[in-house]
Amino acid sequence: MAIIEIEQPKAEEQHSEPVRVRGLPFFPHFLLREVVVMCLIGGSLLLLASYYPAGLLSPADPFTTPTPIYPEWYFLYVFGFLKFWTFDLGPIPAKIIGVTVPMVLWYGLLILVPFIDRNPSADIRNRKIAVALGVIALLGILFFTYYGIVHGE
Amino acid sequence: MPEQLEVSMTIYDKIYKWLDDRFKLRELLPSIVKHPAPEYAVSNPLYCLGGTAFLCFLILVITGIFLAMYYKPTPDEAYKSVQNIMTAVPMGSLVRSTHHWAANTMIAAVMLHMIRIYFMGAYKKPRELNWVVGIFLLLTVTTFGFSGYLLPWDQLSFWATKIGTGIAGSLPVIGGYISLLLMGGNDIGADTLTRFFAIHVLILPIAIATLLGLHFIMVRIQGISGRL
Ligand code: HEM
Repeated sequence: MAIIEIEQPKAEEQHSEPVRVRGLPFFPHFLLREVVVMCLIGGSLLLLASYYPAGLLSPADPFTTPTPIYPEWYFLYVFGFLKFWTFDLGPIPAKIIGVTVPMVLWYGLLILVPFIDRNPSADIRNRKIAVALGVIALLGILFFTYYGIVHGE
Repeated sequence: MPEQLEVSMTIYDKIYKWLDDRFKLRELLPSIVKHPAPEYAVSNPLYCLGGTAFLCFLILVITGIFLAMYYKPTPDEAYKSVQNIMTAVPMGSLVRSTHHWAANTMIAAVMLHMIRIYFMGAYKKPRELNWVVGIFLLLTVTTFGFSGYLLPWDQLSFWATKIGTGIAGSLPVIGGYISLLLMGGNDIGADTLTRFFAIHVLILPIAIATLLGLHFIMVRIQGISGRL
């Protein structure tokens, strides 16, 4: 028979909490607030759903292309970039750049963000470069989204 | 326990005691129940965005299960089954539209959540890996949207998917495989629809459940970043 000993925290250890956090205890205060916010969001979704029901066009027809067609709004920037980039770079055809940059390169860059930005400060005043790059990226996404809308097929 | 104490216990006390005797709630619960939500996070609505995305996810699971009970993933039946949901099934229109709005809201919330993480520098040590998991969540969520878009099999679904698979298919090296894998052939047809359905209701839900599990465990272990 095996006996397992589990160390119980000593009484004095329980009292000397090293970091004191000001805040709401999860139950009931925080949970109550969460439930209220959840009801508000859920209610808004129900309202939206009843006033603006999901659409349904005519059945899919592989032989008639409707115009204009757009992808979902969160893919518009990919679509927009593809329309925007029309020039070959040396041996690389424009289309390859048009699809690779917004999908592979962009996501690769996003994954690497914490490893590229080695600045330990989280204070926005000490992160001028990161903030500037972030704003440029946001404006870029917005611009290509707009471009995608204007140049829909 | 003395007799009179037992009598004065409410039904909740009794249930609690019954469970406590078996699962040591006394030791387990305080760490959950008393765990403080830090003030800087409670007082700033920007910290709500992750939770909003998660709430949308829960709503999507529930409404999605109901839709799956009426939806038929074949080219002949898909459109008719969605039409049936919209016109004949009780509350069908509300359930489908809520699924639609929750999906779009979730994607918006995830993007804004990510923007908050970026500008607050919340991805910095020790949270690098949670950012990486987050990017995979972003990919999963947008793929959810992409695969769901085809399912109603109307003109918009069909042609938007045509553009989407076309773009994915022209990626160098892997593009051909991706488009074959997605479409199950050279064009969008019955195979594509069943594949997108399987991706939407089986593969992606498993993927997102795993990623969300990792994401939340890491948040719990590392705490919410903020001014100390
Ligand atoms: C399905 C999508 C997602 C859900 C449901 C989700 C949920 C959450 C929640 C509830 C938190 C706690 C703090 C807060 O809400 O702000 C959190 C924290 C965090 N999330 Fe997400 N998230 C998602 C996607 C993402 C994405 C796309 C990223 C970034 C690429 C990300 C990165 C992070 C990081 C780094 C933290 C820790 C932040 C901190 O400690 O301040 N998450 N997430």
